[in-house]
Order: sequence, then structure tokens, then C-alpha cells
Amino acid sequence: MTSRGREAQGVASLSRQVERLRDRPSLDLSVVLCTWNGERWIRPFLQSLGDQRRLPDELVVQDDASDDGTVEVIRSMAGSMPFDVRVEVNPERVGSTANFALALERSRGRFVALADQDDVWYPEKLSRLADEFERDPILTLVFSDADLIGEDGRPLDHGLWDTRRVGGTLRRRPIVSEELAATTALTTGCTVMVRHRVIEAALPFPAELDHPVAPMRHDRWLTLIAAAVGTVEAVPERLLGFRVHSSQETGVLVGAELPRALALGISSNVLAGDGRRADGLRARSEQLRVAAERAELLGDFGEAATLRRIAGDFVRRARIDEHGRGRFRLFLEGLRDRSYRLDGWGIGAAITDSLRSILPRSANTGIDSGGGTRG
Amino acid sequence: MAEPTRVLMMNDSMNVGGAERVAVDIANSLDRDRFEVTFCSTRQGGPLVDTLADDVDHVSLDRSATWDLRKILTLRRLVRERRIDLIHSHGRGTMKFVALARATGAVRAPHVFHDHFGWLHVNRSAPRGLREALQRGVDTYLGVDQRLCDWAVTAAGLPADRVHLMRSGVDLDRFTDVTPVDLRDEFGLPEESIVVVMVANFRPQKDHPTLFRALSTLTEPERSRCSIVVVGSTTADPEYFAGCTAMAADLGVDDMLTIAGSRDDLPEVLGGADAGIVTSKNETGPLVVLEFMASSLPFVATDTGEITRQVSGTGVGWTPAPRDAHEVGEALREMLRTPPEERRAIGRRGRAAVESTFDQRIVTAAIEDVYASTLRSVRAGGVGNSP
Repeated sequence: MTSRGREAQGVASLSRQVERLRDRPSLDLSVVLCTWNGERWIRPFLQSLGDQRRLPDELVVQDDASDDGTVEVIRSMAGSMPFDVRVEVNPERVGSTANFALALERSRGRFVALADQDDVWYPEKLSRLADEFERDPILTLVFSDADLIGEDGRPLDHGLWDTRRVGGTLRRRPIVSEELAATTALTTGCTVMVRHRVIEAALPFPAELDHPVAPMRHDRWLTLIAAAVGTVEAVPERLLGFRVHSSQETGVLVGAELPRALALGISSNVLAGDGRRADGLRARSEQLRVAAERAELLGDFGEAATLRRIAGDFVRRARIDEHGRGRFRLFLEGLRDRSYRLDGWGIGAAITDSLRSILPRSANTGIDSGGGTRG
Repeated sequence: MAEPTRVLMMNDSMNVGGAERVAVDIANSLDRDRFEVTFCSTRQGGPLVDTLADDVDHVSLDRSATWDLRKILTLRRLVRERRIDLIHSHGRGTMKFVALARATGAVRAPHVFHDHFGWLHVNRSAPRGLREALQRGVDTYLGVDQRLCDWAVTAAGLPADRVHLMRSGVDLDRFTDVTPVDLRDEFGLPEESIVVVMVANFRPQKDHPTLFRALSTLTEPERSRCSIVVVGSTTADPEYFAGCTAMAADLGVDDMLTIAGSRDDLPEVLGGADAGIVTSKNETGPLVVLEFMASSLPFVATDTGEITRQVSGTGVGWTPAPRDAHEVGEALREMLRTPPEERRAIGRRGRAAVESTFDQRIVTAAIEDVYASTLRSVRAGGVGNSP
């Protein structure tokens, strides 16, 4: 596209953005719940929602074409819930991220909490997170830690953050930097509450999120946008029971599974087939570029520049895989330009890239990355 | 008569800024029968040196870093020569410098630290170096925002009884009986338009884009009734300024804007305005809200900072959510709809609120009490950490 074309598109997008401002939240607090074949879990979740100390004004349900009794259970309980329940069923399955986009579009609250069908919320969850927003108007997204619970609802004696290896960082630095949000999956949707204007900036979800190698889920996208156009805060309390079970779409690994999966993830990252890994890095780069455009539209020029810089870092890392010669030089350039953060993730990426830049290319081909770490 | 307490007021520099202005106002207004003041900039001087009272001596240390040991010796000499009884530092850089001077034994005077940190929206961590400087090098912590006080207790680990909220004040004399600038005449603005002044250097934190987006939500008749004059440096961040002007043009609101640049006659400029506006992303004050009220102006100010929080809902202005163009637009619209006599009444209420709560003399009296209690505690070997 020519620069004039881009400019024209920018103005058009800006107008759309301003236009969207006219459709404003009319309620205080919404909960958006996406469901799919969750008949087994939905009842305890809805009960925990009804027991909240601060009740929502509405529950927006978006069912992704369940073929079990999920919707019937919800409709049967809706009349007894102390708030408005609005159920919509997709004619065909669209997937979790697209389903959340539909649900978020329908939400009308100033604050919007995201919910999964299989969790159990503690009574103070909504009030605790909403209080953070009331207390500090600069916050755009807040999220908490969670207890892991088993299929039977019993605690597994693990916390979500620590299992995902983000607990130390989030407790030390409760304000999530834009860089961290851009490079690391930190949030899990059901722990998140977001201010409506972040939804306005995040929607529509760009097509770039739906990438076969490096998809970006709705929670990560919202966090990225919220950090780029505002302030994201981690609340260290565990405000819900996060159910771990075999049929969930995004889960966590506990006990002996975790170190095994981490080792597999690291080794598969180092040895992954060139094309696949480079594709993933380029996809991430594109996702960040779209986020940068959204930030720029709202006038967050510095934040947009930061996202573009990190997107460029991802491209350079992809080129380490793609280049025949000079790969180690590319890695050194990355070090020089401080492309790797001085934390566990950054150091891990640097080690991976350094190894991949010196491994013979023949060793880098044909080895599928297999299943990496989830989330 | 008892000997006056000798106070060393310290900050980084004397460039124009909110924290610097507060430090100067306190230095100028301490009771001269009880206090003697020396002002020390640990890095360099600046234009605000000229605004210090005649009896306040200014010294510049020109330090290059917190660990500038040579300058610590200079500070030691200054404190000894002037027989300083108490140090009042502003800004975290200078606080750490003073804390280090105390840790090395170069300085023993009790230390009151006045925290104006305005980056809570991106950083609420308390790294070890900062925690230790606060815990071991500061006797009394003054936060200009309740969120800072909360941070000092929960993140930095200071005992709650050493932490005090100290809202900023304004020197009312600067805004009394001024000769207003005729802004319509100076900038060629329509006679019938409502002139709204935004006081904000072109820096990202001031979030001009939210104002522009808010203006774009106004209807054509509303736009024609409103002229925005933006006062503030355009050179502080040239890229940001360029982005702002391009955005204003894209949104078609540039014809409503007059960029006036930096002005050294702010009280007179505000005297010639009909209203004020500030749309910052995050502030701990902001002082400009007090300046609007001192100038008897109704205002729109995003709900961020201790001062805005205090006056929110008291009928002196509109306080929409920060970064929310729709809410800012709504507030502007409501202000434009307000009849002139009602706007003037709002302005008068603001002036009365400043006189009763935010007059610098009231704030300074509270600070004098803090000095007295700090000195008492330190002498009694109580809560203070002074050697």
C-alpha cells in the first residue's frame, strides 16, 4: 500500500474509532461468559456468580454451538439469577477467541469481567477487581491469581501464576509493562476484568490473531491492547478456583507434568524445524504491528513505537532461522540492540537463538516442534 | 526568641515543573520567624531560581549521579557550614542522594522526603535500592497522592506512622488582581467563542490526543462555540508534538486549536480565559487544577491525581475518566451548555475551595507541623532513622 493509501486508511479507521465512541456502555458491570459443551461445569459456575458480593448488572452468554445441555441449564437458571442474563447461541462453532469477540461486542458494562464455564469464583472476585478500577481510574485491565482445583472441585495446592512461571515477576512488578505484555502470555481470561474502552480499542479482533503456528488468544490480545493504551495491574490474591481437567481448551500443567513439558518446550524450541519457528515469530510480529496501529489511532504514539520495535525484534529472530549465513551476526545484533529482556524469558530466548544461530542448518530442519508449553 | 530551624530544601533542578514549583512555594512561604531556608539543586539550576524569595539562598551541586561521592562531600560541607537542622528533599533521585549521604555518615540531619512520582501508571515496583534508601535514609515520607502513600507502606515497607499525605497548594497571590491577557485579540479568536485554556507541555503523559478525540465528538454548532488555547512547550518531545498535530488535522479539529507555546505569564493567560482543561493520562497533582481554581475558572480535568480527586463532585468542575475521549467530550459539551453566569459561579466556588483548602499557607503550616514532629521524634530517638 502506498503511504497515501495507508494515510487514507488511517483516517478512515480513526473515523470508525470515533464513531464507535457513540456506542457507549450503559451499565456498570458486565460478565461475559463463553460456553461450549460445558453442561458438566456450568451449574457450579453460575451458582458462584450468583453468590458474588458485588453482583454484575448483566451476564452476557455466547454459546459456541454446544451439542450438550449447556444452554438449557443456563436458561433454566437465568430466571433465578439476580441480574439480567442474555444468551446468544452461534449457529455454528467459531472457536474460543472469536466467540469472546462476539460476547465482548454485546457487553454494555463500564467494567467487563471475562468468565470460563468451568471455574468457581470466590464471592469477593468481582468486588475486589471492580474496586481496583474505582480506586484508580488510570487502570485499564486488572487480573488476579487463582487456585487450581481438580475436576471434583478439590484444591490442588497450586496457584495459577506460579504454575505458569509468572508469579515472581507479577508480585515484584504489579504494573505490567508494555514490553512484558508484548512478549509473554501473562493473563488467563477468567481472571481478567477490563475497562470498556479497551474493548472498543481491541475490537474487531484482527485476522492476524488466528495463526496456525502462533495464535494469539483473546485474553492475551486484550492484555496487549490494555497495556498499550493504558495500565495493566496484577492483583496477587487468588480470587477463583481454576478447574484443571482433560477437556479444557487452555489448561495448565501441574506436578511432574510441568518440568517435563518445560524441558520439551525448550528443546523443541531449539530444535524446531526452521520454517515453523520462523513462521511463528513472524506471526507474532504481525500481531504486534496491528496492536501498534490500534495504539497509534488513540494517540499512544510512544507505546506504538515500542510495539513496532519489539515486532522488529521478532522478525530479526525469524531471520536467524531463515538465513543461510550470518545467523550468528544477527543474533549478536539482537544482543547489541537489547532485543532480549533481562529476565527468565528474555534469557531463555537469547539462549535459544544463540544455539539456533550456530547449529548446522541441517540439524534445524525436519524436526517438528511438537507440543510446546501451553498458554 | 528561639533560634530558627534551618531547613535545606533540595531537588534535582530548578527547571519549570510541578514538583519544582511546589518546592519553591514551600521555601518561599515557610514562617520566617521560625525557619531559615537554603535551597539546593543537586543537579543544576534553572528558571525557577528567579522565583525564590530574596532571603532564600540557592546553591547548585551539579552532581552527575546518585553515587557522585565528590558532591556528597560538597553537601556535607554545605550542611555543616549552614548548620542545617533538617533536609527536605523532593524527587526520588535527590532523595537517594541524600540517603546515601546519610548512609556514609557525611550528613546527619533528619530527612523529610516529598514524593511527587508521576509514573504510577507504568511503575509501582519498589526495587531493593529504593526500598533501602527509603527505609534507612528517610525519617518522614510525604506523598502528594494517596496512591503514593499506599505504595510507600505496602511496596516500600515504610511504617504507616512515618507516611503522610501532603496535598500540594497554590500561592494565591500570584493569581490575585492580575491583568488578564486578551486572548481573543492576541490569537484572533471569535468574540462569541468560549475560550478554554489547556496548560500542558506536549509530552505523552499530558495526553493531548484524548482532547482531540473528545473535540471530534462535538457537533458542528458546539465546535463553533469553543476555542482551545494550548499553553506549553512544543519542543519537549518533538515526535509526540508532530504526532499530535497530525492527529488533530486527521480528526478535523485543528481549526479549533491555538498552540500558544510556553508562556511565563500563566496567571494573566488564565485571567483572560473562560475555562480550563487538562486531559492527562496520569498525574499526582495536577497543580494546574489549583491554578484554574485560583483563577476562578471552571474546568474539565481528567480524574487522576489527588487534587482532582479531592475536588471531584464539589461543583467546581468536571472530572471525566482519563483517556476516555467520550467522557471528556461529554464534560466539554456540558460545560459549553452551561450559561455564562453559572460558569462564573462555578469559578467562584473553585476560588473559595482553594482559599479554604489549598492555599499555600495552609499547606505550608501542615509541613511546618511535620518538620516539628520529625525533629521531636528524631531527638527522642523514636521513629526517625537519623544517626
